Amino acid sequence: MKPLNELTLVEASSALVNGEITSAELTKACLDAIRAKDGAIHAFLDVYEEEAMEAAKRSDIRREDGGVIGDLDGIPIALKDNILYQGKRATAGSKMLANHIAASHATVTQKLIEQGAVILGKTNLDEFAMGSSTEHSAYGPTLHPRDPNRVPGGSSGGSAAAVAAHMCIAALGSDTGGSIRQPASFCGIVGLKPTYGRVSRSGLIAMASSLDQIGPMTKTVEDAAILVKAIVGHDGMDQTTVEAEPIEESWTQDLKGIRIGLPREAWKTKGMSDEVRDKVTEAVRVLESLGAEIKEIDLPYADEALAVYYLVMPCEVSANLARFDGMRFGVRKENLPLFETYAASRAEGLGAEVRRRILLGTYALSKGYFDAYYLQAKKVQTLIRRAYEAAFRDVDAILTPTAPTTAWKIGEKSNDPLAMYLEDIFTVGANVSGLPAISVPCGDVAGLPVGMHLLAPWFEEAKLLEISQAYEATEK
Amino acid sequence: MSLTREDVKRLADLARLELSDEEAARAEKELDAVLGYVDRLTKIPTEGVEPQTMPARAEGWRSDDAFECDDLTHELLLSNFPERKGDLLHVPAVFTAPKK
Repeated sequence: MKPLNELTLVEASSALVNGEITSAELTKACLDAIRAKDGAIHAFLDVYEEEAMEAAKRSDIRREDGGVIGDLDGIPIALKDNILYQGKRATAGSKMLANHIAASHATVTQKLIEQGAVILGKTNLDEFAMGSSTEHSAYGPTLHPRDPNRVPGGSSGGSAAAVAAHMCIAALGSDTGGSIRQPASFCGIVGLKPTYGRVSRSGLIAMASSLDQIGPMTKTVEDAAILVKAIVGHDGMDQTTVEAEPIEESWTQDLKGIRIGLPREAWKTKGMSDEVRDKVTEAVRVLESLGAEIKEIDLPYADEALAVYYLVMPCEVSANLARFDGMRFGVRKENLPLFETYAASRAEGLGAEVRRRILLGTYALSKGYFDAYYLQAKKVQTLIRRAYEAAFRDVDAILTPTAPTTAWKIGEKSNDPLAMYLEDIFTVGANVSGLPAISVPCGDVAGLPVGMHLLAPWFEEAKLLEISQAYEATEK
Repeated sequence: MSLTREDVKRLADLARLELSDEEAARAEKELDAVLGYVDRLTKIPTEGVEPQTMPARAEGWRSDDAFECDDLTHELLLSNFPERKGDLLHVPAVFTAPKK
């Protein structure tokens, strides 16, 4: 058997069921891997060594007693540090919350614990999940597991690196514009953003509430299926959640009857590297060989999604982050009178990228610009949604690369925010339209992973998983 | 649409963000680049198009009920206060003589 920390969730779960390993051994293997590797990678902000071992032992006792809860019982999982774990620090990658202790569990944390998962610790992220490289963390960057001179992607870069470097079996991330899928693509793992409304965000530190969604980051598609099903469901604490049809995938190697659309405009995107285009094109050929029907489609307004995103998101950011004013929590820098205390506390606690987005949102919401920017963006959002509705009458899924390039060098884009924003071109459409989307590894270019990105209609995660798994099985 | 230094300062005031002159100069340049990009939306005809409300089906609003929390949650909430007096949050005075 391979080293325990390198097992997939499915493999680990079945080894636990068969009595070949214990959760304590599995958890210890992950903790050892963290100790050995994370000094260099910096994927974790906090590791709960003692609690994790205790949870693992409790799981082993349950198993001995025949009271095992399910697939996740005894499985070591990492959480992005914008997801609350009661009694533990929740920094969101910000200096503002350096000493902030979560008062309660996030709904997803609660669900994982109830299903017996072992929470290993918290992973690094761009401050308040704003960024595509994890360089914008107040606690220092996470490095790419395969190349320490490169970024792991972001904002869930810590979770992506932790899974890719086998420091955990699986992880949760959050995705507002691509923050699960792009780092998954950069690190060569699977990342799934569920449909908006599938997963409760109660206990997720909010970035842009109409776009945020929590999802799994895993070693395989089957692992993603297990983990996403563990966290979905209506929650009275998040009014956007719905009781939707359950995710019921049936794995198949036969994609006959599946229609996959390649949006013409997206595939012509300037800035897409030829090597990435070629790799993803190869994956398309594989899907075709499995019986899928491939067709080019028009997706009008889809390339406006990025502009819509970079208006709607900062507007919501400026509103959501107004709470960090130094009064009830976070950094307070007393500088009387009151106005100066607010301004000084926020300047002290919030980093450059966060402040940039707050200013942008404040601008787009301010008198005289609201109609031209925010309202116009919300109208174009309607047009984009309609375009997807129309497209999904003809195809079952839409395929592009996840990102136009592979992982870039540290510092390469830090002085050019617009260049970093343009990296989100293929992922933001899912958030702007609330659609489910997945990134699946489809090979390497010069030793760096490339991701294939699939979008499906609302609440059809099962279809995404089935197509992805059929592809993944051919790669093994 | 181009931002002036004064615009940036005003925005920083509205957002309650202290900005140094150097930061304001940088923000001016960076925001201009992003606004230059998003400006493409103004050219899209949207007459008669409703603005998007919710990205997916949502099921109404959460009622704003007060609920009891256990002692641990209660204590953790209070422990995050930047300044605490017993179970009370201590805040700076609202009315003070202005500095400038």
